Amino acid sequence: MLEVENLHVHYGGIHALKGVNITVEKGEIVTIIGANGAGKSTLLNTLSGIVRSSEGRITFDGSPLPTAPHRIVKAGICQVPEGRLVFANLTVEDNLMLGAYLRRDAPSIKRDLERVYDLFPRLKERRKQMAGTLSGGEQQMLAIGRGLMSDPVLMLLDEPSLGLAPILVEAIYEVIEGIRRIGKTLLLVEQNAYKALSTADRAYVLEQGRIVKSGRAVDLIQDQTIQESYLGVKK
Amino acid sequence: MDQLLQQFINGLSIGSVYALMAVGYSLVYSIMNFSNFAHGGIIMLGSYFGFFLLTLFKLPFSAAFLGAALGASVLAVLVERIAYKPLRMRNAPFLYFIISAMGASMFIENFVIATIGPTFRTYPAVFSRSPFQVGPLFVGRLDTMIFVTSAVCLLLLVYFIDHTKMGKAIRATAFNARAAALMGINTDMIVILVFAIGGLLAGIAGVLFGMKYTVYPQMGAITIKSFIAAVFGGLGSIPGAVLGSLVLGVVETLVSGYFSSQFRDLISFSLLIVILVFRPIGLMGKPAEEKA
Repeated sequence: MLEVENLHVHYGGIHALKGVNITVEKGEIVTIIGANGAGKSTLLNTLSGIVRSSEGRITFDGSPLPTAPHRIVKAGICQVPEGRLVFANLTVEDNLMLGAYLRRDAPSIKRDLERVYDLFPRLKERRKQMAGTLSGGEQQMLAIGRGLMSDPVLMLLDEPSLGLAPILVEAIYEVIEGIRRIGKTLLLVEQNAYKALSTADRAYVLEQGRIVKSGRAVDLIQDQTIQESYLGVKK
Repeated sequence: MDQLLQQFINGLSIGSVYALMAVGYSLVYSIMNFSNFAHGGIIMLGSYFGFFLLTLFKLPFSAAFLGAALGASVLAVLVERIAYKPLRMRNAPFLYFIISAMGASMFIENFVIATIGPTFRTYPAVFSRSPFQVGPLFVGRLDTMIFVTSAVCLLLLVYFIDHTKMGKAIRATAFNARAAALMGINTDMIVILVFAIGGLLAGIAGVLFGMKYTVYPQMGAITIKSFIAAVFGGLGSIPGAVLGSLVLGVVETLVSGYFSSQFRDLISFSLLIVILVFRPIGLMGKPAEEKA
């Protein structure tokens, strides 16, 4: 469904992505793991049109991906950004409705709003509150819910577990599985490699702008070098 | 006591025009994080549009008023496209925006001096100069019209920003443009929209101001007052800009009325410095990361 071929990105003087190739098939959870600064967020931001690529091809559903961020959302790719970036100056419900900004069909928007509230009952309780007053975990739920409101085909999640207590990380990953069950495809970027590998179907390892390893998540989690570099397992 | 009330009403009238100017300033600031110094030029051009539509084209007042507002709106967007968009596209530092804004402002002013001329012009009397009486107070017809027009425009703007989908998209973009883009909001369109609204209000303010005083190429300098008002209320906050403007208008008229009009600007600028020193975020401003 998503094919990225030979993607290069230059950030000022930095060559952030050096010929990345990845594919994501419909219904999959694919994860990209890697250290800080490996280029994971750059990859997602390039897919979302926030960052321009200098070379390479991105194909989505058989046609070239548009370049403007709002066209990409329209095409069905939505990103839940790192650090949540909820609109703190708007209410929870306004945040969710802005997720549906490009949609016109009121009944289906309403249905999706109810679905998000079913997924995150806490958000329903707080729907009239300013998003800035929510806790970190609640803001992450709001960011995911807001992303779902665009009714995406492919959802890009950037570090959804960052800065959350372990119990909340569990909750977020349960939600991620739930999102797959309602028919969405997910591309997940994580530093929490163990959590990501135990949830995903397939994984890519990104190091200094290059994919150095890829395969089924169940295999990679057993891989010795990955265990040493990313899972903290000592020989 | 009557005289105090009388001055208070005059102050509200002039303050409401400052408010029209200040909210345009504030809106642009909230999205782009820089002070659009070309705003004064747009106000001045709006004033000239209104003047010429009335005198040269002999349009009825309402048509001239509308034409001036629309013309100013189009020009404000044009300034954005020419002077700011290229800078936005390459993420230029904000200092470049300010310099570009000053350049645009000087260009507009000198363009008007060179083409229309430097003379002061007076609007034809649209409203009777004789005031009407409310109890012991004499209220000018023009002042009343100015206050009512400004108030209606500001209420419409607040409704638009607070309750419509577009308005919420503007607030979301002001809070975090990248996150807004990720939600499918065309942030370039939001910038155009904000300049169009700011320009519309600037055109209206220009006509009201021209009717109360005169029209001349340097009249854009008056926006320094709305800048003070916007800082006083809290840059980027629309209710703050309105409140700051009304306070400034009232303070100015009271100072002119009770001391001397020569003290007026002295007091306004002292107010600006006191605010910047003691409460830099203004009356209703929010910390930088939570601007609305």
